[in-house]
Formats: sequence, C-alpha cells, structure tokens
Amino acid sequence: MVRALDLDTVAPDDQIKSPPTPSLTKEGKNIILNNNVKLPNNQKNRSTTPKDMVDKNMAIFRQKVYDVLGHTSNPLSSFLVKPHVFKFREQDDAEEIILVMRPHWFTNVSWIIMTMFMLMVPTLVRFLPVWGGVPLRYQMLGILFWYMVTLAFALEKFLSWYFDVYIITDERVIDIEFRNLLDKKFSEAKISLIQDVASNVRGISQTMFNYGDVLIQTASAIPEICFEKVPNPDKVIKVLQMMRQEEEQEAIDGRVR
Amino acid sequence: MIPDLSIYLIILEKIFAFVGTGLYLIFAVVIVKQVSMMTKNVYDKFNAVVIVFSYIHLALAIFLMVMGMIWL
Repeated sequence: MVRALDLDTVAPDDQIKSPPTPSLTKEGKNIILNNNVKLPNNQKNRSTTPKDMVDKNMAIFRQKVYDVLGHTSNPLSSFLVKPHVFKFREQDDAEEIILVMRPHWFTNVSWIIMTMFMLMVPTLVRFLPVWGGVPLRYQMLGILFWYMVTLAFALEKFLSWYFDVYIITDERVIDIEFRNLLDKKFSEAKISLIQDVASNVRGISQTMFNYGDVLIQTASAIPEICFEKVPNPDKVIKVLQMMRQEEEQEAIDGRVR
Repeated sequence: MIPDLSIYLIILEKIFAFVGTGLYLIFAVVIVKQVSMMTKNVYDKFNAVVIVFSYIHLALAIFLMVMGMIWL
C-alpha cells in the first residue's frame, strides 16, 4: 500500500480561526499606558475581578474561624487568638498566625503548690533538734541555698510552660516544645498534609477545666503532632477542619503558596 | 550517749556550699543562655520580663557563691 508522502495535501488540518485582535488607536494606547486615568464610579464598581471576589470570600471564611475561637488579650493566656505581638523565627512574611496555645494554666498548679511547700521547709527545719547545733553562718548559707534551689525549680517549671508553644497559622501547624533546660523540639506540618485530627480529654481535672491533647496525623515526614493539654480541644479541632477546607479551596482556586 | 551530729552537718554543709553553689552557677548560666535563645525563636509580649528575670537569677547565683566563700 502506497502512502502519501505529504499528509497535509491528503487531509489538511482545520484552520483555527483566531479572534480578531483589537487594533488600538494611538489615543487608546495612551490610556492604557497612563495608570492615573480615573474611571467614573459606575465603571469602577463593574470592574470587580474574580480575584477580588475570592479574597472577599476568604476574608468572610477567616472571620468565621475567629468567631469560633473567640478573643483573648492576656499575653500569659494559654489560648491566644490572632495575637498582634507574637512572632516566631520560622514565620514567613505573608503567614498569618491564627492561634497560639500553651498547656492549660491548671497544669501549673502542681508545681506552684510544690514551690510553696519548698518555701516553708526552712521554717520547719528550725524545729529539728540538730539544727540548733549548727553555727549561724552555716544556717544562713543553707537557708539561702535552699531558697535559690526553690527559685530555680519554679523558674525551670515556668519556662517549660511558657516556651512550650503550639501554633496554628494559615499555612501550617507548629509544635515548639521546651521540656526542660536541655531538651527542646521544633516540628511542623502543612495544613494541606493533615490527614486526621483527634482529641483526648481524660480525668477529672481535664473534664472540669476543658483541656486535653489534640492529636494531628499528617502525611509529612513527622507522622504525628500532639498539642498536649491545650485548652478547648473541641474548638481547636473545629478550626483545623475549617483551615483544611480553606486549604482545599485555595488548591482548587490555584492559590497555593 | 547521743553522738554529736553537728560536726558531720558542718562538713556536709561545706561540701554542699562549694559544689552546690558551683553547680548552681552553671545552671543559672544555662538558663540565661536558653532564655535568650528561646526568646529569639518565639517573640511574645512577656519575653522582656523573662530575660530580666533570668539575669536577676544569674546575679543571685553569683551572690550566693560569693557569700559561700566569705562565710566559710
């Protein structure tokens, strides 16, 4: 079977008719180049682009997230919603912090009671019979040293709580842990990579004061992130669900950062 | 006859004073270092107070060591 060498002569392709390009007059070109041209008001309203509409929808959606969370202003709060001052080193310029959490204040009660007991020890020691035989300067130094140990204990516990921070931004979840002076951890996962979220509230105190663990399963290198003993775990889960929806919508709109 | 425990207590206090205050000073330095590092990682309103407190703690640790040397 002989084949035609020139297929275009046998079955020519359909010609694609390109839309006529509007030819700009000299005056029209000048209007486009000159950005200072003022449009009349009715023309301005008509020029709302789809991008503006999407941005407006996202702003409404974000407001719904903040409505769920409520509002806090105390810097030592365990549940800081949209903090104005708070920043972290790995934060991107365009990244917005939605929520910052620390372990619930009730988790501090045990070490505060312990500290108060430690402060009372020098008073109790005076009742021991051997204490009277110790020279005064040793007594003074011993008491001073004990108070310093108490201060160190309280300071270490406070710092462990203060720098144990969980952050939800519009892009990711972050866990900065400061377990003790020589052990710290930073882990993060993108919200789009979150697979499952679960909460765990157990015991009398957690039920009474509404705090617990929030477990986040991710598809990233860190398979699980745990927000330990955070207040309002149900709200956190709700917000993470909303943020995941927002991320999905962003992916559909092609606005992934 | 009850043995005199005061002598042992004094020896114990001397050991505590020198070793304890030395270790405590190291601990205070570590706290200052860690706080300055963590405040760079996490910036919050209360950070300045925490930094000041860590330095006060270091000053107290130095004071404790000096007092230990003077008194013993």
